[in-house]
Amino acid sequence: MPPIAETYSLGVRVEVSKIDEELKKVWQESEGAATRASLVNLAVYSEDAGSLSKNTQLMAKITEDHACRAIVIEADCNARENHVEAWISAHCHVSGVGSKQVCSEQISFLVKGGCTDLLPSIVFSHLDSDLPFYLWWQREFREPMDSQLWAWVDRVIYDSQGWADFRAQMSLLESAEQEANQRIVLCDLNWTRLDSFRFALAQFFDHPASHHNFAKINKLRIDFAPDFRSTAVLFAGWLAAQLNWQSEKTNVPNKFSFASSSGGKIEVELRERLGQPIGEVAMQTSHMEFLVTHAECGDLLEVSRGKQGEKRTPQLMPAGKNDPVSLMSEELMRGGPHHVYLHAVERVRDLL
Amino acid sequence: MNRAADQPEPNPLREGLSARAVPQPCTIVIFGATGDLTHRKLVPALYNLAADGELPPAVEIVGFARRPKTDDEFRSDLEEATRKFSRQSVRDEIWKNFAQSIFYHQSEFEDESGYKALVKRLDEIDKNHGTRGNRLFYFAAAPDQFEPILKNLKAAGLNQTCKGSWARVIIEKPFGSDLASARELNSAVRNSFTEEQTYRIDHFLGKETAQNILVLRFANAIFAPLWNTHYIDHVQITAAETLGVEGRAGYYETAGALRDMVQNHLLQLLCLTAMEPPTDLSADSIRDEKVKVVRSLRRWPRNEIAADVVRGQYAKGAINGEPVVGYRQEKNVNPDSQTETFVALRLYIDTWRWAEVPIYMRVGKRLPKSATDISIHFKKAPAVLFNKDLHDLNVLVIRIQPDEGISLRIHAKVPGTSFRIEPVKMDFHYGTSFGKASPEAYERLLLDAMSGDATLFARRDEVEEAWSFIDPIEEAWHAKKNAPELFFYPAGSWGPEAADDLLARDGRAWRRL
Repeated sequence: MPPIAETYSLGVRVEVSKIDEELKKVWQESEGAATRASLVNLAVYSEDAGSLSKNTQLMAKITEDHACRAIVIEADCNARENHVEAWISAHCHVSGVGSKQVCSEQISFLVKGGCTDLLPSIVFSHLDSDLPFYLWWQREFREPMDSQLWAWVDRVIYDSQGWADFRAQMSLLESAEQEANQRIVLCDLNWTRLDSFRFALAQFFDHPASHHNFAKINKLRIDFAPDFRSTAVLFAGWLAAQLNWQSEKTNVPNKFSFASSSGGKIEVELRERLGQPIGEVAMQTSHMEFLVTHAECGDLLEVSRGKQGEKRTPQLMPAGKNDPVSLMSEELMRGGPHHVYLHAVERVRDLL
Repeated sequence: MNRAADQPEPNPLREGLSARAVPQPCTIVIFGATGDLTHRKLVPALYNLAADGELPPAVEIVGFARRPKTDDEFRSDLEEATRKFSRQSVRDEIWKNFAQSIFYHQSEFEDESGYKALVKRLDEIDKNHGTRGNRLFYFAAAPDQFEPILKNLKAAGLNQTCKGSWARVIIEKPFGSDLASARELNSAVRNSFTEEQTYRIDHFLGKETAQNILVLRFANAIFAPLWNTHYIDHVQITAAETLGVEGRAGYYETAGALRDMVQNHLLQLLCLTAMEPPTDLSADSIRDEKVKVVRSLRRWPRNEIAADVVRGQYAKGAINGEPVVGYRQEKNVNPDSQTETFVALRLYIDTWRWAEVPIYMRVGKRLPKSATDISIHFKKAPAVLFNKDLHDLNVLVIRIQPDEGISLRIHAKVPGTSFRIEPVKMDFHYGTSFGKASPEAYERLLLDAMSGDATLFARRDEVEEAWSFIDPIEEAWHAKKNAPELFFYPAGSWGPEAADDLLARDGRAWRRL
């Protein structure tokens, strides 16, 4: 059973019209030694040359925790002739219980020419029936956004961190959603990237006795790595949305302010620093600082609060990771709608 | 699942981050801190929560026990145990940070002054560590120590809190050894803590699949219409283990399988399987429905108990080819012991839903394999067309442990020109579909207690109703005259033949596990 033993290659090359037939053979040849598992259809679309191999490796890792029918598509939109090549493979992992192998199928496509026009027909023909459809779109969206395709999508996953024009991209997505008349959940990995920092900052305010601090916040500083300004802005947007701050006009990109509902002013400073996408968040009132910063070891956060300059004993919390596998795993595990994200975007759309 | 009355207003920054109630900062005081439960389960569970970022930063742990120890010695003992028993490997930097929140308080459980000193210590912790006067008292000591601990906690004023803070008590099973002792314990608890402050832990309820029973039943429209006497032939609940008494002989000799497993774990599983849909997901709505199930269990006259309840004890035999001694030959077991290591029961729930549907339960030690599951055996399809010769029923199996999952046995035509029908199994495995390991039951339950969610904890009336069902069986077994027989079964078998006869009389057989 050659395709089952391999988890990192594209697998066996097959004729597009015979994909189902060939997949069946794979399972027959496994003679019950492997179990096929699938909770979702996860399609990943990229126009980067060589993405097929890179995404196959990512899928091999993602399927360790998230069994799915993986559909990996690399599109070469500049090719002169329309042509589609296909491969099938399986990512197999020994399950937590017993020694049986649990496998997720992968169907890979190299699409030349036609590009997004061919996408719906490829995807529609190879979805595992009755399962949700998640579309992971790498890089930027561009027109035309096929309404038939979008009507089938349950969750669209993207990373706004690499977008050159956030507003234009969001507007494309929103119009695709409207046209498809479908409630697509927008899953921004740039937002997922903030989970651990949001979690760490939120826990300061779990006790109602600390809620009075919300009205006293007057400063917010966020340190971000080069190319991660949008991540920092989204973080500020989250606080603004949840604490009901209104954005004020500004001309300085990394210094802006919000007005709180009680009329107070919150000054925000974004500082570019080498290191993690978000390196440190400090939120201040006149007498207290809430600080979340990366610990020296990298994958832990130090969280502390106290008066500025005062010696504190920080607590450690998981920092989360920034690689695509970890971000995707986090996103797939969390599920649910992302209303909070949409509210955050609304508050800072003009700053992104 | 729902906020307790003493649960604070939600934190707006938590929206969308977590689908569960948020645990509050608190000090956890563990009575019996040098014991097995603390080392094997509680502290590893708390460490895992800390490592996963689930524990609020201001959670401090105070171990309360008799042996003299310093904080550092206690931390070092716990580190060793956590490295051994934790589900994830211990990271030095996380342990170091976590260990700073662990303290040791040496005192006799009966010594009032020890509790006065505890008050001071807890106040100090509140002041220095931001635990805000919230206290969670975990009773991991021997049950005979519960009463002095409760009395002294009350005398020291530790059952009371300032406005905005809470004090809760977690009690480990056994919740008494019969109805009278359970009532006594409950009233001792009630003298110090209200029912809302009391969390009776049954770790079976913290298991992922036990929680999933409610989801399976009430989030899937296909099962609801079938879940009654019209479509269900019978139900089987099995809790089998290959282990013997494993050093617990002292306790087991006084308890036996009926008290140790049936009164709590198995009846809890039965309740989740048989309860009516609750009006909402609040702890009391769910527990109201569960208690109705126990209350509806048909009671037997003493002389009929032997017909529906079989008790057994393992004799020497072999497990996985390895010879093992009989129960009476185990260390610290009375050589003439009458303690049951196996129980099989046929129960009826006298409600409209379950009228005349037999529920067969069995629990035993030294059985051929370890497995806990619930199986729903549906009635036969009408005996027309090709169903005339079908003998297998459709069976829905909920596997609690190990290999958590759900399977459904249906009939299918065997490919070929003849019309042969065979049973096939559709099988869902948690481990296969969801790669991420489930948290340990204690992790979930500790978080729930810190969050004020009592849904997965037993309420006073549940415990007392369960004992009122169990007591007549125990009384019959211990009667001087005409006590039902204690059957012996070889270790490694599926129990005494009498247990098979219990079903055979009804034309049924235990499910093959």
